[in-house]
Parts: sequence; structure tokens; C-alpha cells
Amino acid sequence: MKILQNSAEPIYKQIYAQLRGDILSGRLKSGEALPSIRGLAKDLKISVITTMKAYEELAAEGLVVSAQGKGYFVSALDPRLIAEQHQRRIEESLTETIRCAKMAGITLEEVRSTLDALWNLET
Amino acid sequence: MNKAVDIVGLKKEYKDFTMDVTATVPKGFATALIGANGAGKTTLIDSLCGVNAVSSGTAVFFEKDSIDNSERLERIGYCSSGNFFPLNWKLKTIAECMAIGFDGFDRERFDTLCTEWGLGSSKDKKQKSLMKMSDGNRVRAALAAVFARETDLLVLDEPASPLDPLARDRLCDMFRSYLLEKDGERSILFSTHNIADMESVTDYAIFMADGKVIEQGFVEDLKNKYVLVHTDAGDSEKAKPLLLTYTSSDTGLEGLALSENSSVLEAVGAILERPTLQQLSVGVLRKAENNEK
Repeated sequence: MKILQNSAEPIYKQIYAQLRGDILSGRLKSGEALPSIRGLAKDLKISVITTMKAYEELAAEGLVVSAQGKGYFVSALDPRLIAEQHQRRIEESLTETIRCAKMAGITLEEVRSTLDALWNLET
Repeated sequence: MNKAVDIVGLKKEYKDFTMDVTATVPKGFATALIGANGAGKTTLIDSLCGVNAVSSGTAVFFEKDSIDNSERLERIGYCSSGNFFPLNWKLKTIAECMAIGFDGFDRERFDTLCTEWGLGSSKDKKQKSLMKMSDGNRVRAALAAVFARETDLLVLDEPASPLDPLARDRLCDMFRSYLLEKDGERSILFSTHNIADMESVTDYAIFMADGKVIEQGFVEDLKNKYVLVHTDAGDSEKAKPLLLTYTSSDTGLEGLALSENSSVLEAVGAILERPTLQQLSVGVLRKAENNEK
């Protein structure tokens, strides 16, 4: 896990985002245990409460569950729920793209060709 | 929340100073005691550890109704600021006295820690007395003695102050390892002025001013409760009524406000950011100082 100590993004949000990505992409499988709160705090050289806050955010979204005294585990996720989460993120970022394009007076055609170019760069 | 120490109305009266504290030290976390010089941090620590006799109030340890003095001494690792051991002592004297004083003292561990800190070992033939050591090394020796014991709660008065930046980083690692070793069962209470250096190991903060607790909470919650505010000179007058404290200059001002006022502050042109613990502490303590005046 990579954490920026001096980023404007709070550290707990960085941890949350990385674990969320790992869970939704399936790199962390359902039932798998997350590192212990104090173990991860030690590894990342951050406070216990920061790690805990990240795990609590994941739990609030239903991505992980806490078992009293045993730590946090990845929830048994419904594949449809995961697909929906992905779809939602894509829609969010595309909405932002459209907003930017309209503000700058860029046409749909131009956005499409940018998307095509970037898509090919990534693969 | 489980409590390592539950302090209710703990009072200590001196001629010109009264400490009156109600606060919680959560179990499983590191708690920082923050306050200006003379705020009563050391008075509180000494009262908790039985160095001071208190006038009234209670401090419940480990959620037990009563704790006898020998159990308290055994389970709490206390270290005062300044000279914890007599200055004519050597590492050997410390090791021998700690072994007599505490069942849970591990001499091997003490030697390992002393060697890691570069102090040598309590078994070395030639040993310096504490008197001939630097302030930093005296604190290292005292910390090694405390960390070599089997305890459930550390109470440390300004452990970081005399340490260099590398040693402070090491102290933070030792805190995290201590908390991890008995996952969730151990707790730390430490006072500090080196907030920025200790932020990465501070879970809960208790702020004191003039003998009282003026704010306390988990650091992530406090950082959400308060917001750091920046404005240009032109917008500063409109923002001022909403600020708890601020410092201003010709170019504008910087201050601390409650997050619940964020939208109003943004509407008058202020830029907001999440405070660091250091920035938050300065704001909270400055507000207390202004109130006293």
C-alpha cells in the first residue's frame, strides 16, 4: 500500500480508497481478513485511529464486516452489487468529464476521440 | 469505548493553582496530553501515578472498581520528565533496582533496548553514570527501563522533548509495537509539546489549560470537528465573527473555526482545509489563553 503523508487527501481516505479498489476488483476476496488495525498502523507508520477510521468507512459501505475481537473481513459481496458500484463510479467520472467539456466548449466528438486515444494508451 | 483510565473530578489543590480534571484515556490507543507550560499536565500524570496525593475525585484504572497500589505499580509503566533515576546510577544500577522493584522487568530486553539506543549494556565492564550522559541519553535509559517491563499502560511525561528527530521516530515505532504486541489490550498516555513529531502516533488527545480539560477526543474526529480557515485581507472582517481564534497580517488571516460553520465561511470567500494536529492544538490552546486574559 502506498500512502502519501503530506497529501491534502487525509491518510484514512487514501487507505480506504486503496482497499476499496482491491475489494471491488477482486484482489481481496470475500471472507479474506484485512490486516489487523494496529499491525497496519505499525507498517504504515501512522496512528491506530487513522487505520480504524479507514476500516470504519469500508464497513459503513458494507464492503467489510468486523468480527468482535477478530478484526475485519471482506464481506460476501453480491456480484451485481460490485457491477453496480463500478457502473456508478464510471457515471460519476463521466458526468464530471461532461461538465468540464461543456464549460470549455469542447464537443462530444472531441471528447470521444480523447477517450478513444486514452483507452488505447491504457491497454 | 473501553477505558484504560476513567478520570472523574480528580482534584489537586495548591496555593495558587487548582487542577480539576474529568477525562478518559481510551483502552488500546495512544493518548497525548497537550497544553501550555503550567497547564497541569505533570500534576495530572503525577496524580494518576500516585506521586501526588489528590484532594478529591477518582481515577478508575482498567475498569476495575479498585486497584491496590502494588497492582497499580506493576501494571503501569510510569516515567517522569527530567531525571527519573538518581544521576550517580549506571545502567547496571538501573537494571538491578528495576528487577527488585518490578516482577515483570526483563533484563535481557533492557539490555537489547539500551544497545539499540547506543548506550551499551548493563553488563559492560566500563559504564558511564547518568550524570555523564546527555539529556537525550538519560531519557533513552529511562525509556529502556520502562519498555523492558511487562505493563498494560504506559504513562510518560514528555518522553520526546530531549530526543533528537531520529530518536523521536524510533519512539513512535516503539509506541506502535507496544500497542500491537497485546493487540487492543495496552494503552499509552503521554504528555508532549512536540505535537508535529508525535502526530503519527496520537490516537486520542486531551487538551489542558489552567488545570482543566478544555477539549478531548479521537484525533480523526477532532480534525473533522474543526477547520483551518484562510482569507484575503478583504474578506477577513466578515470571517472573524465565526473564528475561534486567528492571527492576521496585511495579506489576510489564518484561524480555526468549527466545521459546522464551513458553508458560511466559504460564502464570505474563505478557503478551508483540514487542520493537522499541530494546527488544531495551537488554535485550541490559543483560544484558552485568550479566554484567561
